[in-house]
Amino acid sequence: MDPAASRPAVVIDNGTGYTKMGFAGNVEPSFILPTVVAVNDTFVNQPRSASTKSSNWLTQFNAGVMADLDFYIGEEALAKSKSSSTYSLNYPIMHGQVDNWDAMERFWQQCIFSYLRCDPEDHYFLLTESPLTPPESREYTAEVMFETFNVPGLYIAVQPVLALAAGYTTSKCEMTGVVVDVGDGAAHVVPVADGYVIGSSIKPIPIAGSDITLFIQQLMRERGENVPAEDSFEVARNVKEMHCYTCSDIVKEFNKHDREPLKYIKHWRGTKPKTGAPYSCDIGYERFLGPEVFFNPEIYNSDFTTPLPDIIDRCIQSAPIDTRRALYKNVVLSGGSTMFKDFHRRLQRDLKKIVDTRILASDARLGGEIKSQPVEVNVVSHPIQKYAVWFGGSVLASTPEFFTACHTKAEYEEYGASICRTNPVFKGMF
Amino acid sequence: MILLQSPSRYLLQILTNRLQNLDKGVELDCQFVEFNDVRYHIQASVKNSNVVLLSVSLPTPPPETEFVGGLPPGAIEAIKAAYGTMAQILDPPKDGYNLTLKLNLSKLPPDEEHKHALLVKVASIRQVVLGAPLQVVLKRLLSRTAAPDTNRPVALVHRPMESFFLIPQADKVTVIFPMQFNDSVDTTLATSFLQEFVEARRTAGLNNSPPCLWSPSPPQELNGIPAESLSANAGFVSFGMRLLLLIVILLFLLHLPVFIGAVIFSRHVEGRKLDRTVWSLSTFQAYVSYHVKCSEGFMHTRMRRRVESLIEALDRAKPGSADKQAQIAETRSFKRLSLNDGRRSLNSRR
Repeated sequence: MDPAASRPAVVIDNGTGYTKMGFAGNVEPSFILPTVVAVNDTFVNQPRSASTKSSNWLTQFNAGVMADLDFYIGEEALAKSKSSSTYSLNYPIMHGQVDNWDAMERFWQQCIFSYLRCDPEDHYFLLTESPLTPPESREYTAEVMFETFNVPGLYIAVQPVLALAAGYTTSKCEMTGVVVDVGDGAAHVVPVADGYVIGSSIKPIPIAGSDITLFIQQLMRERGENVPAEDSFEVARNVKEMHCYTCSDIVKEFNKHDREPLKYIKHWRGTKPKTGAPYSCDIGYERFLGPEVFFNPEIYNSDFTTPLPDIIDRCIQSAPIDTRRALYKNVVLSGGSTMFKDFHRRLQRDLKKIVDTRILASDARLGGEIKSQPVEVNVVSHPIQKYAVWFGGSVLASTPEFFTACHTKAEYEEYGASICRTNPVFKGMF
Repeated sequence: MILLQSPSRYLLQILTNRLQNLDKGVELDCQFVEFNDVRYHIQASVKNSNVVLLSVSLPTPPPETEFVGGLPPGAIEAIKAAYGTMAQILDPPKDGYNLTLKLNLSKLPPDEEHKHALLVKVASIRQVVLGAPLQVVLKRLLSRTAAPDTNRPVALVHRPMESFFLIPQADKVTVIFPMQFNDSVDTTLATSFLQEFVEARRTAGLNNSPPCLWSPSPPQELNGIPAESLSANAGFVSFGMRLLLLIVILLFLLHLPVFIGAVIFSRHVEGRKLDRTVWSLSTFQAYVSYHVKCSEGFMHTRMRRRVESLIEALDRAKPGSADKQAQIAETRSFKRLSLNDGRRSLNSRR
């Protein structure tokens, strides 16, 4: 048997905002890092004068080589870019798609060697991709993994399927459901039937976690809160992650806040990054207005006004008719931006309302002769929602079948990167 | 940069997290693997939140290496010296592991700096255990006492079923690595890297580092070793560990009354230097393979840049492409108006 198959596989879930990585078989990822690379680019933009002597050229070349190795990822990258101006931040993933392959390769290299500290030749790898990834990007991933890192086997999983697989163990053996995956940079509603993605019904949502942050930042700025400009995005992100919640009724919530401001208004304390002077600001309505963007998008953006429950309903309605009941029954949340308190309750209520209205209308049309069966609507949330995709990957990669489903190095050498072009989970139905 | 650090980042993170949330005391059970097939299993329970069980499994030793009770010789003494009362060796170790330590977090020193230093030491447990025999040999060099039977190569395991060799002598220790790579590209890159490595040693700045040799055939010091344990496809690297600095320290010791402050200081440096030497020697193969991967990534970056520039040049050379692009730009610069837009603009005009 392949010795690499006896070791746990490495599971890396590269998201737009955060990367989750660890070994299969564990409950939690080892590291959750911001997906960012700080590159030293002082050498790249240096003018190359023609008159330089050869020795000078050599030192310049050597310095360039050293600069190529001089980079940081994750928290370290953020700290470096703050403390010195020689590093510039580079986000390798934009809106769920890999944007900069050089940075991505460096990011993986650091993940593997300096964070997980494993030898990539010893482990099978499970990487994830968003459901709308183009096949070329998958081929590119395979190329980097097999050529640079020499991995013995690679499986590129689709994020929503993994999110469903995460629920597989906690509750019941169900691989049919709608995954509402709202990450930092990309959000999709993806119907999955028996483990196969229904590709034609995937609905992207143009609102994701970073938009909520921007909205909160805008609200705080408009109210004139005393937040230094260079820090305001970070403060808004922290407010979003720590204080936001979903309300059941926006008007009632405004009233509640006005009646008891002491109870509802929170405070944020920080120090100004330049001067070090302390400041504090209030956090008011944005606590519930932030998540409200998903349910009433018109408060943020006039171009897109379809609420999230409507999108989910349309997505299910466009799926094959025999899967719809099962899909309504299992709406699974995944991604960090679904972590708001009571988010699943609100979603379930709103979705149920839409479904009930439709049933009432159809009953009225039929004149009460035939009673239709009530449709069960169920929005599932679990405590590991934030890294549900990673956990699903960990579960999947610890099964013995995983190693047979992987693309191996031998296959890659025989056929090339095209082995990873198509993903079998899209082949079920079209 | 591309040096492997000796403490395991994840282990350190787990331990510091655990220490910060001692009163919460969550259940903890995770397994992970590091390069060269060193496996860890860390467990803690809710009931006894101060106690953490850490099991380590080492790479399977080849027959020529000496192992005492599943551990390299000298490892148990090294563990006791490094951790003191905080760690307790459980016998027998957990099933499938070579060593199980019972760490008692309540016995950590109270002040933050020492506490952190000890946690880092726990996180670098593989250096303590796997590097123990190497440490013994190098210490002997420091005290200038020759090993009982000199010139006999000592085999030390560093990868599963692979070992490197030490030849201890009175005034120097020679370390020989048979380098083995699975992939043909890796082998080529590693070979040229190692040759460059030897070359770089000769430059003026590295006079104090140990002399280093590379040869495609096993050096004559290894005559008594069976051929199958010397499988190497990227040649042999040997270091003569004469450690010039150590000799300087010995000179200092002779002038003891004068240089007493300097002696303690240099000894301190020397102690840390010894740790670093042990670590870099026992992970030399991993270091080279890391370097090879980095160079491959570097080359890919260059290749991608080249392809992009070539495609750009091709695009420019296409006849008529400039006109077409201008056309596209033109059509895009107009906002496409729909029927509604037209009406609205009419209404606004009225």
